[in-house]
Amino acid sequence: MTVTAERSQTVSDTELARAVAAGDSEAFEKLYEQHHRRVYSLCLRMLGGVQQAEDLTQEVFLQVFRKIGSFRGDSAFTTWLHRLTVNQVLMHFRKRGVKLEHTTEEGDFSSVVETPLQSTRRISMVDRIALERAISELPPGYRTVFVLHDVEGYEHEEIATTLGVTVGTSKSQLHKARMRLRELLAK
Amino acid sequence: MFCNQCQELVSDYIDGALELGEQLQVERHLADCEACRAVRDDLLQIVHFSRQLPLQTPSGAVWARIRFEVASEQPASVWYRTARRLSTMRSRHFDVSIPQLVASAAALVIVASVTVTLLRRQVPADLTTGGSSLLSMQDRSLLSHRDMVQMEERINELTETVEQRKRTWDPELREAFQRNMIYVDQSLAECRHDLADNPADDVSQELMLGVYREKVRLLASFSEF
Repeated sequence: MTVTAERSQTVSDTELARAVAAGDSEAFEKLYEQHHRRVYSLCLRMLGGVQQAEDLTQEVFLQVFRKIGSFRGDSAFTTWLHRLTVNQVLMHFRKRGVKLEHTTEEGDFSSVVETPLQSTRRISMVDRIALERAISELPPGYRTVFVLHDVEGYEHEEIATTLGVTVGTSKSQLHKARMRLRELLAK
Repeated sequence: MFCNQCQELVSDYIDGALELGEQLQVERHLADCEACRAVRDDLLQIVHFSRQLPLQTPSGAVWARIRFEVASEQPASVWYRTARRLSTMRSRHFDVSIPQLVASAAALVIVASVTVTLLRRQVPADLTTGGSSLLSMQDRSLLSHRDMVQMEERINELTETVEQRKRTWDPELREAFQRNMIYVDQSLAECRHDLADNPADDVSQELMLGVYREKVRLLASFSEF
């Protein structure tokens, strides 16, 4: 997306957000149309299941509807929505007692030397499906950090702040997640 | 540097997060170690493809449910007023939520209309004429015959398509469909009960049509999978 297009999108989102806050239901539908796939994809990858992801997508947009008045336009709407989505997922984890920091013991993946070489195997379209499946099989702690960093492009500092962990923990979880994915993809 | 040390640093290495000294050590090791090079290449591929994963689309039922909930939260809306009214009517007898009531707010009218339509199809023309007083009354108080025929045909057609496609669905999609259909059908069932006392209510009829349209939309969205 170009800078101009992105700015245009942002302005459009801001206008829609104001309209929603004023009670315009059509504007709310437009906001949903523009952002539901991104919200759902994030929920799906962080949670790993269609049913939970759909339920949480519903909850996120209900929160948008209820809290749209608190969106002041200081940041991009997409940023605000993304943060709201991540917070909803984390709240979902907390409600179910999912621990993000200690999901598995240290060094639980096979050592490099024992793992068959994978470098010559190309990831094709079919393998993208395998990658999605492998991500869904990660423990919640690994999956959360991996999705935020490698899929959504968060920096470790942002992840640490969002999850309430140290930068070192975020880096460590990411590394373990990648190594576990390598194992899962090799199966 | 040993392989296990290299492994510990390889993620930071591909992210460009190592100090220069560590980076050089890793690079020296990689130059001599095929196994660690393979790990580096695998992780690079995982990172590369993870950043290009396509967006996924939820079922159309998600929006239907959101709209439903939102409608119940808008005090000025007809949906809300009717839900409140129905809620008051039923609060002494049943433990149901306002959204459920809103969802079911017009089902009886639609079901009655479908029944009328079916009766008209089954009963010979002369008998229909003979019994026209009842049907005319229904037609006056319910939805128009033409609308209902169209609605019924569309639902039958979509149901048939969905039933055919369902065989190819994975368990998760089947479960999602089942869950959403249960949601809609429960709402319709509630509706039948709630509106039994007042089937000719204009607002309720309008709501009923809305609920039924949601069912059409739900079937239409799943018929695309």
